[in-house]
Amino acid sequence: MKSNIYNWFFLILRRDLLIASRRSSTYITPLIFFLIVISFFPIALSPDQEFLRSLAPGVIWIAALLSSLLAIETIFSEDFRDGTLDEFFISNDPSFVLVFAKVLCHWLVTGFPILIASIISSLILYLPFNSLMPMICSLILGTFFMSLLGAIGAALSLGKSAILSAIIVLPFSIPTLLMGTAAVASAIDYQDYSGFLLIMGAMLAIGIPGLCLLTVEAILLNYE
Amino acid sequence: MLPKLKVSNLSCTRAGNLLFNNLNFEVNAGQNIEIIGSNGSGKTTLLRILLGLIHIGKGDMEWLDNKDNYNQFRDMECFYQGHSLGIKNLLSAEENLRLSSFSFGVSEEKIHSSLDRVGIERHSALASELSVGQKKRISIARWLLKDFGIYFIDEPFSALDDEASNLIEEIIEELNKKGASFVITGHRPSNVVSSQINLDHEV
Repeated sequence: MKSNIYNWFFLILRRDLLIASRRSSTYITPLIFFLIVISFFPIALSPDQEFLRSLAPGVIWIAALLSSLLAIETIFSEDFRDGTLDEFFISNDPSFVLVFAKVLCHWLVTGFPILIASIISSLILYLPFNSLMPMICSLILGTFFMSLLGAIGAALSLGKSAILSAIIVLPFSIPTLLMGTAAVASAIDYQDYSGFLLIMGAMLAIGIPGLCLLTVEAILLNYE
Repeated sequence: MLPKLKVSNLSCTRAGNLLFNNLNFEVNAGQNIEIIGSNGSGKTTLLRILLGLIHIGKGDMEWLDNKDNYNQFRDMECFYQGHSLGIKNLLSAEENLRLSSFSFGVSEEKIHSSLDRVGIERHSALASELSVGQKKRISIARWLLKDFGIYFIDEPFSALDDEASNLIEEIIEELNKKGASFVITGHRPSNVVSSQINLDHEV
């Protein structure tokens, strides 16, 4: 039977989610890391409410970026080592689907827990209630974009040092960081934040096809 | 009958070393090719060139006597098993079969009968609880999922006891009768009926 793209997509997603669910560290580590980083700020700087509120957008976003990249290099390295990637590349189905399924799975197991943790951290940092919505929206868009970026880093650093992918990716996360913090900060000041979210959405819309295709090429560099 | 795969004048140089030069062979339906060579003689490289995973070989590869058919053929008919078996430790034996990229359209009964055939008793046991030899048996069970045309197997006989080696020989013979061909590698000739290519002597 000829396989079609949807079958492929769900096969990869099902398999990766099943493996992730059996290795609890994949989704617990980013969550705990995020909460620990956030809770250091009131301890180290000052518990002052106004002060923390002004820091909150930046702090939450930096913590989210770092924790979403915490285990990014594993996204392809295991499949590369155990030969599963070879099997994908022998079958002639579009590798784009493979990359997108893997990125989506990575986002579901790291980005999604971070979203939940960000709600808790908004209490720790006295973030006003009206900025909760833009924070969650910008984090959904931003962490998914980070997973896409991270996939390229992971593909380029296949078989090399684990920290390399984070070093490749972090400089490119600056636009996401700027837009994300600006959206939350404007909401705190009761200003219109929709423009920032629209730009993040546009970045994601270009990023999904563009970065996935680049990632395929980056993986193929290892097959030469 | 046309050969399934015809290789002519295939050469490969890697990192300045000539691995093999002017290889010529044909893979016919129901016949096997065994690639013999010491470590580093280019056995795995040859398999990966044939499969189109790497593109460093010079020469001609014709599939079903039709160069244009190559990609489609690879998609429909080829099975590849590398050194690392593609078995996930955190999946059970049956899940490893069910969620493999070779398992589209394969029924549950087929999955279980394949595992029974290779002697895996606990189908729901995680692969991490199994020994290396048993993992190898799971990977052999995947050969039986569908009727593939050519099987490319990298060192099928390593890390196996006599019983498992006999099992592989039996399965290869069985699949040969259905018209499938095997291209296998090894350090020394096995008991499988095949024509042999010795890479140590080719250079």
